Amino acid sequence: MTTKHFNFYILFPNHQEGLHLHRKLKEANVKCTISPTPREASSFCGMSLLIEEENLDMAAKIIKENNIKTEGIVKLEKKPSIWNKTC
Amino acid sequence: MADYRKMWSDLGMDLEKHDLLCEALPDAFGAIYMSQENRPEGMDFFNFVVSEIHGVRPAELIEHQKNGGKVFGTFCVYVPDEIIFAAGGIATGLCGGSQFWVAGGEKVLPANTCPLIKASVGARLDGTCPFFKIADMYIGETTCDGKKKAWEILQQEVPVYVMDIPQMKREKDILAWKEEIRLLLKRIEEFTGNKVTPEILAEKIKMINNKRKALARLYNTRKSSPVPISGKDALLVTQIAFYDDPVRNAEQVNKLCDELEARIAKGEGVFPKNAPRILITGTPMAIPNWKLHHIIETSGAAVVVEELCTGTRYFENLVDESGKTLDEQIKALAERYMKTNCACFTPNTGRIDDILRLVKEYHVDGVIECNLQFCGLYSTEAYLVQQKLKEADVPYMHLETDYSEQDLEQIRTRVQAFIELLEK
Repeated sequence: MTTKHFNFYILFPNHQEGLHLHRKLKEANVKCTISPTPREASSFCGMSLLIEEENLDMAAKIIKENNIKTEGIVKLEKKPSIWNKTC
Repeated sequence: MADYRKMWSDLGMDLEKHDLLCEALPDAFGAIYMSQENRPEGMDFFNFVVSEIHGVRPAELIEHQKNGGKVFGTFCVYVPDEIIFAAGGIATGLCGGSQFWVAGGEKVLPANTCPLIKASVGARLDGTCPFFKIADMYIGETTCDGKKKAWEILQQEVPVYVMDIPQMKREKDILAWKEEIRLLLKRIEEFTGNKVTPEILAEKIKMINNKRKALARLYNTRKSSPVPISGKDALLVTQIAFYDDPVRNAEQVNKLCDELEARIAKGEGVFPKNAPRILITGTPMAIPNWKLHHIIETSGAAVVVEELCTGTRYFENLVDESGKTLDEQIKALAERYMKTNCACFTPNTGRIDDILRLVKEYHVDGVIECNLQFCGLYSTEAYLVQQKLKEADVPYMHLETDYSEQDLEQIRTRVQAFIELLEK
């Protein structure tokens, strides 16, 4: 049986909130990456933060402490890298 | 999530069609960029720009317009941004690097027009690019026949000012280009209602030089082995430099360079030390055209330098900052811009000299020339490039392609065979 791997995307009402959390996570040495939000996660364009599962609790703590507005966390199965997909 | 639909709607964009692009971009970027291992953290800023590409910067440009400023859309590295910024305007790149826009261009252009022109015209006519909708004026140029005629079509929608680029590089041509820059200044002063003074032009010359220096610093890190950043990431940084605020952009590129230089000090890279090192030369790769870089870098080689308009041609050579009068400054601008080696000039041996120099500076193992279909200038010049590289014993391959996916497998097979020949 193949193990499924997941990506966790933190969504925001606007990019200011997203950049705020990005800065706070970096200050706390929590690994995160800015990513375009996949369509499966939201019907709107814009940034989200990609985060590892083991850092979710820490992220939740930082969100609460800093009163950062989010629109939830979306768990999506990692897709195999489509090498030949161009835009 | 950020909802820019009201802004796009106010711009008169086709929201339904544009949404198809919004849907495709995250997947494409995810597969091509986010799948890379050990990316520099400094790329987060550039990920952010892509994530918000039709939102944040367009909103800034609209804000500038609300404050009485003008926005100028440009298509070519020969257009001197310094003049536009000195008159209180903002210069921005426009859309033109995706197959998504090609069909819209083909409604009015012959099919055998290069994809860059078809995509640009399509992005405007289909209403799927905010930059095209925002710009108050487009600054065109005469670098090829396809563009010259495209301006006449775009002129029906938005004012287009066309700069006449000389076709040779004699002393009289440099003087003619100086005169063209003077005329542009006059037209932009009229259009913005702002007078350009030597003081403000000096400031903007310095500002754009700083952006060039930051990009040159980035490229300099790519001379190291192992290379600290992928070619794909470096290409993205250069592509974004055409749209972003120049001061912020230089700041972010320098921040990325700090990280890359630290990587070099530790001997850290994103490809094995023995990965073949590729120079790409040819026609520009406008965002989101990442096709060739992606093929090369998922075939075992690293792209270490681009002799392209979206590469070294964009930032090499600084404008002399010592000019005190407008005449001296315009002369300095003319001299700097005429050093850019575009295939629209005859002869254009300077470009071949550049390629040979870059091969040495970046320790290049092989050169891939990639031209967009129907670009007669670059494809014809490829014969001479190949001849000189052969004399210098530099492995070379010539490709012609477009933005579509239909030739991906063929190109990958050819690129893999070429890389096999280079493997150390």
